[in-house]
Amino acid sequence: MKVPSSIVPYIQVAPLALILLVFFGIPLVTVVVVSFFDYVNFQTVPAFMLYNYEEVFTSGLTITLYLTMLKYSVIVWLITLFIGFNVAYFLVFHVQSLLWKIFLFLVCTVPFWTSNIIRMISWIPVLGRNGLVNQMLISLGLIDEPLDFLLFSDFSVIVAYVHLFTLFMVVTLFNSMARIDPAILEAAVDAGASRWQVITQIVIPLTKTGIALGSIFVVTLVMGDFFVVKIMSGGQSSSAVYAMWNEISMLQYPSAAASAVILLIVVVLMVVAILRVVDVRKELSG
Amino acid sequence: MAQIGGIELANVTKQFGDTLAIDSVSMIVPPGTYCCLLGPSGCGKTTLLRMIAGHDEPTAGDVLIDGQSVLGLPPAKRGTAMMFQSYALFPHLTCLDNVAFNLKVRGVAKAERRKQAHEMLDRVQMDGFADRVPAELSGGQQQRIALARSLITNPKVLLLDEPLSALDEFLRLQMRGNLRQMQKEFGITFVHVTHTQMEAIAVAELVIVMDHGQIDQADSARGVYDTPHTTYVARFIGGQNVLGGKVVRVESGAALLEDARGNRFTVPSGDPAPDTGETRYLSIRRDWIEMEKLADPSATHSDAVNSVVGKVWMTEYQGTWVKVSITLPDGEEFVANINDGTFFANPAREGDTVVARWSAEAVHSLEHRESSFDTSRGGMQA
Repeated sequence: MKVPSSIVPYIQVAPLALILLVFFGIPLVTVVVVSFFDYVNFQTVPAFMLYNYEEVFTSGLTITLYLTMLKYSVIVWLITLFIGFNVAYFLVFHVQSLLWKIFLFLVCTVPFWTSNIIRMISWIPVLGRNGLVNQMLISLGLIDEPLDFLLFSDFSVIVAYVHLFTLFMVVTLFNSMARIDPAILEAAVDAGASRWQVITQIVIPLTKTGIALGSIFVVTLVMGDFFVVKIMSGGQSSSAVYAMWNEISMLQYPSAAASAVILLIVVVLMVVAILRVVDVRKELSG
Repeated sequence: MAQIGGIELANVTKQFGDTLAIDSVSMIVPPGTYCCLLGPSGCGKTTLLRMIAGHDEPTAGDVLIDGQSVLGLPPAKRGTAMMFQSYALFPHLTCLDNVAFNLKVRGVAKAERRKQAHEMLDRVQMDGFADRVPAELSGGQQQRIALARSLITNPKVLLLDEPLSALDEFLRLQMRGNLRQMQKEFGITFVHVTHTQMEAIAVAELVIVMDHGQIDQADSARGVYDTPHTTYVARFIGGQNVLGGKVVRVESGAALLEDARGNRFTVPSGDPAPDTGETRYLSIRRDWIEMEKLADPSATHSDAVNSVVGKVWMTEYQGTWVKVSITLPDGEEFVANINDGTFFANPAREGDTVVARWSAEAVHSLEHRESSFDTSRGGMQA
């Protein structure tokens, strides 16, 4: 059968377009539509009203949740960026043998061979009041009383986030650093640049697309977090997504949908802000 | 201008793990010299260059620039600048900022460093491209930027790693001339690494022929071409036919050799004179050979001294001369470059049996030393 050449491209994109439509487009539109619905006695009633949004915006809890999540995002972003940059730099520029590079890179991914939840829960016996860290510090005589801030605190939340998300920074930074011709770094040294100048003048500008992509991963993952903050803070902090889960469990779907739309807008704005600083198209087009 | 940038290497050795890359090399490059390090890939010439530049440190030995040991010093403190094979321009900076980079890292104010960079770009005729980024430039233009970036540091020594290898033939010839001119203008030492024989002898005052981490011959361009010391240098530089034979007798300053086919050649006996039965090698320049067609196609050797017999397997017209490749009966290749007028007066065709002759004065005696590298691929085609 002869297919007219003008429709061939449409046939080629059809499978992906279909999948995106069914699993992304329709659910998204549904959420947006439901966010304007009314709910009465655990029943969702089709309507068009802005009450759900009003409720979210007027609640003091919303601001607190978003500010907490923003705080975590920024701190986690800074720490993962620092660790990711150093690990990637080491792997790309210091490890000479390709075999070692691949091996060490795989070592970085080892924690990802277990589930997120297990990895996170594992911190509890490490950081707890009678956990490994406290026991060690006490037996070394450095402290008399167990440190309480280690677990169920901002500290433990951030430790868990960093542990969960650093690899995304390592991978994206590794990818963009690996494209730098090592001769360029030598040329900078040849021109008299110090180690620090090589990093600030050459490596950082040349890896900024990788930094941007890694930042998008980390920031969106933290903003969309559901359980880490709840468990690691011992219930003291919460997240926007956790608030939605509460609403859903009370069958207040329209209200949860409105929160979801707002979270989506906030995250999209953050991504747009990152993309305005850095043009990632260059990286993606190779 | 006073000439600066004398380089001295004293027993420099470089080991990478178990591999000996440079084996106790000593050499002197006088200030203001255009020097070429010539050798096949893997001979250690780039390693030697990087040790002078300070991007590698020797395992043993000393590197001196203008009489001062520079071991352990970073490149900028050595007074060297390196131009990398791929140019290694900073892809995120404009040409102007590429050239000004060295001044920037030394803390020169923006206006001043831009002024100096513009001046330097002007010297390499690239000022019109100041605001472009390297990706927008052709290979030849990128090279000029790289050159400007190196020279702005006011180096005593400019180190060029295969500077012309990424260019096409036409640009290569043009840039070759430009480099030579620049070197004269700045009065500094250029060390140019190449594996192209023609390039080396065209630009360099001092050609250092390397093989396997050692220097075979350091000489003027004419010296390595016309009077190679060893069979390796003669074969690698090309332009020469290398023959060998056993000494039959020695008389009045000349040794008579005979090869396995019964061809006989004379070679200056030298001092001390060789013993009978010893093997000696000689070279004859390709353009100092006369050729004549033989009526008997089955001839395999010539009775006359200083001649060989073989079959023509290829003739290549080169304009003013014709390159005639002759296969000797033992499979060796022998090349005669014949003046085009002489050749076409009685042209030899592929498959003809010919005798090639030369005068005793054209012969140059060689020391025997072969490379483990395949030199048949190299050899200048001129």
